[in-house]
Amino acid sequence: MSAVLQITALCKSFGGLIVADNITLRLHPGQIVGLIGPNGAGKTSLFNLVTGAVRPDSGRIELDGTRIDGMTMAERARMGIARTWQHARSFRSLTVLDNLLLGVRDYPGDSLFGSLLRRRAGIAQEREAEARAMALLERVRLAHKAHALAAELSYGQQKLMGMARALMGDGACLLLDEPMAAVEGRTYAIMRDVIQEEAQRGQAVCLVEHNVSFVRDLCSRGVFMAAGRVLADGPVDELMRVKELNALYFGAAA
Amino acid sequence: MIWNPAILAQLAWTGLSNASFTCLFAISLALVLKVNRVWNFAQAGMMVVSYGCMLAIARPLGLPTALGFGLIATIGFSLALERYGFRPLRRRGSSSLTFFIFTLVVSQFCTYVAELIFGTEPTTLIDDVVTPISMIGDVAVSGWDLRAVGVTTALALMLAGFLRLTRWGQRLIAVADSPDLAELYGTSRDTAYAVGMTLAAILTTIGMLLLGTKAATVPASALQEFLVQALLATILAGVGNIFAAAVAAVVVGVGQSFAVLFMASKWTPLLVYALMAVAIVLFPAGVNVRAVLRIPSLAWARR
Amino acid sequence: MPVQYLITLATLAALSGLLAISLNLVLGYGGLLSVAHPMFYGIGAYTSAILAMHAGVPLPVAAVAAALVCALASAPLAVCSLRVSGDYFVIVSMGFQLGVLQIINNIDLTGATGGLSNIPALFDGPSRGALSLGILLLAVAAVMVLIQSIIHGPFGRALTAMRNDEDALAMLGRDPMRMKMSIFALSSAIAGFAGALYAHIFQYLSPTQFGLETSTALLTMVVVGGTATIWGPLLGALVITVVPQAIQFLQLPVSVSAPLQGIIFSLLVLLFLFLRPQGLMGGSRGGGGLDAWSGRRLIAARPGMNPAA
Repeated sequence: MSAVLQITALCKSFGGLIVADNITLRLHPGQIVGLIGPNGAGKTSLFNLVTGAVRPDSGRIELDGTRIDGMTMAERARMGIARTWQHARSFRSLTVLDNLLLGVRDYPGDSLFGSLLRRRAGIAQEREAEARAMALLERVRLAHKAHALAAELSYGQQKLMGMARALMGDGACLLLDEPMAAVEGRTYAIMRDVIQEEAQRGQAVCLVEHNVSFVRDLCSRGVFMAAGRVLADGPVDELMRVKELNALYFGAAA
Repeated sequence: MIWNPAILAQLAWTGLSNASFTCLFAISLALVLKVNRVWNFAQAGMMVVSYGCMLAIARPLGLPTALGFGLIATIGFSLALERYGFRPLRRRGSSSLTFFIFTLVVSQFCTYVAELIFGTEPTTLIDDVVTPISMIGDVAVSGWDLRAVGVTTALALMLAGFLRLTRWGQRLIAVADSPDLAELYGTSRDTAYAVGMTLAAILTTIGMLLLGTKAATVPASALQEFLVQALLATILAGVGNIFAAAVAAVVVGVGQSFAVLFMASKWTPLLVYALMAVAIVLFPAGVNVRAVLRIPSLAWARR
Repeated sequence: MPVQYLITLATLAALSGLLAISLNLVLGYGGLLSVAHPMFYGIGAYTSAILAMHAGVPLPVAAVAAALVCALASAPLAVCSLRVSGDYFVIVSMGFQLGVLQIINNIDLTGATGGLSNIPALFDGPSRGALSLGILLLAVAAVMVLIQSIIHGPFGRALTAMRNDEDALAMLGRDPMRMKMSIFALSSAIAGFAGALYAHIFQYLSPTQFGLETSTALLTMVVVGGTATIWGPLLGALVITVVPQAIQFLQLPVSVSAPLQGIIFSLLVLLFLFLRPQGLMGGSRGGGGLDAWSGRRLIAARPGMNPAA
């Protein structure tokens, strides 16, 4: 099976703090990979490196065979990398629908002059995008909030909106940073369903999660990280049985 | 002929002595930035207040009295600035722009008032700014030069001593590092901010005294010339490094002095502005010589 | 005579209006704290004047060329805004402005400190003042329509998002750098065009018109009117241009009236800063006003802080 995202020998340190130590990792289409490990293991940093928020010191990152580690964040996003954050990072002064519309790729409204000169094409595309956004909002059960300001949503709703926004770009690789943190009940179920559906559609999903039962439920494969290194990579159940990892995880997390 | 060592030494010395007041302005700016966490463009206003006050008093009552009143007026002005300006803005959670406009407009207000009172002709604090010159080797050293360098060094050392050794100095640093934590341990941040402004006022006033006994100035140069130089030094030094700002001021002063070898003196301000823009874009955290040297060695060690 | 005076006043207010509206695009909608706007005003004025005087270029062409030159001149500053933001960018833009001013003050082409006079006029004849004012008002209306359509369109939405969270926007495939550069270019082009109009209406340029005083005046107009509002800057320009003029009626000598005008102006700013920071047009909802940028305070970034999670 060919990998969607291939990370090879990735290294990064901030002064003396090493957040990525020779990381090699492949993400495959349709697979949900759980990144686990104690706090400070470098899980979020790995996301930052892959999305371009942070530049690696060395190593390579390829998406569908194209090298992306020299690209800007926006270029990588247009290549098909989507991401959510632990805190939803909504555009607070925009409506929920507007938040989603910003996720469309190759949009005339992207550029100042495009938005002025290609108005008609823009309006047609805007309609189409709105329909897609509403369908996504339907999926995360937020359609009734489409015209509310993002700032007015509850925490869980903001996370669902962040998820929907990340899906607007129709990418190939979905990076989810603690999608379930502080989320419960109905929201939890919606989020879980959406993640599973996206994997079934062929997206490569990678998520950072502390909720062990959730990882066990959802992820077919687990990657255990500590101190910027990948210590183990395999089926989640097997990882959970390794005593050393358990000790490392719970010992350090406590 | 230009590379004559005597000329080079003279340029170095002149640059050094002329950097004295810039040095004080830079320390003052860096101190307020570190403690009060404000880019204090209103420091130009402080300069104008202290200079105007000393100018009004110096001729009838003499320089020492003028300095006394200048200090009182500037400290009062600076405390008012913190209490009635920075504090309400801070509590409101104001943006950078608010602070920028506030501090800049305060400076302009002071400048306009000074122009209304004293006019726009260049003035000095004393009638005769010529001081006796003695030759040390091939270098001409004036009495003012010695006084300026001596006073600046003494003030810098006193400030360092105050910050390192006294209780209040340490409280100041504590507030600069973390106001919330400092408050938890019983240091009032408002008091620390007031102390920071007072120190800045003292340094600024003495800097203006040095300036006014050396060359004629107009109110507008406080903002457009002296503050910009202090700003450059603070940026080069990096936020929070008070004494590095002093060193940077000296380096820039001496550099500017040497620049006359390569360009007409009317272009040296351009050099300052360009350097300022370049420095802040390339080294937003200041030019950290040690870090620049250390990074490559780390990279090797890893491989 | 009073009519002539009113026309001049209205002309100045309209020019300030153009500048304030275009500055608001960068400052209010873009969230970029640039103080260098008068620099583009100046570059536009000098470019157009010099083209018309030395190369005999027709005035409309010269004015458009001036606008293009300013759009290009904005690129270096816009690039800097990629690396630094907030108070740091304020200082960079100030460095740029003072640097360009220093050049204008010292080269022969711009007449150095003496400035340029006898610049070709936009109109001749007795009603030239009214005609010029008409052109200016048209320009203001056109710019207002332009900005309105940008802000209410998809690009305006992206701008709001950029002010809220730049990284989150980049992660959706939008390039904040390109967005900043394009609004910077547009805003500077408008300022340059306004400068060209200024040069050919008043036929005299002096470097002092483009200094830090003008920066604060423009910032104030935007702030007093309300940042990131459509009508605010225009209203602010009107207030800030007209109120200090009251002093003219006292018939004081220039050495008194000039600083006094400055004093009135700075007091006005301070008053607004503390009593009505949201500006005249800024409401409570939908942002606007001085504090339209949430969380970006003038707190120094701590060097050596680790961004690692």
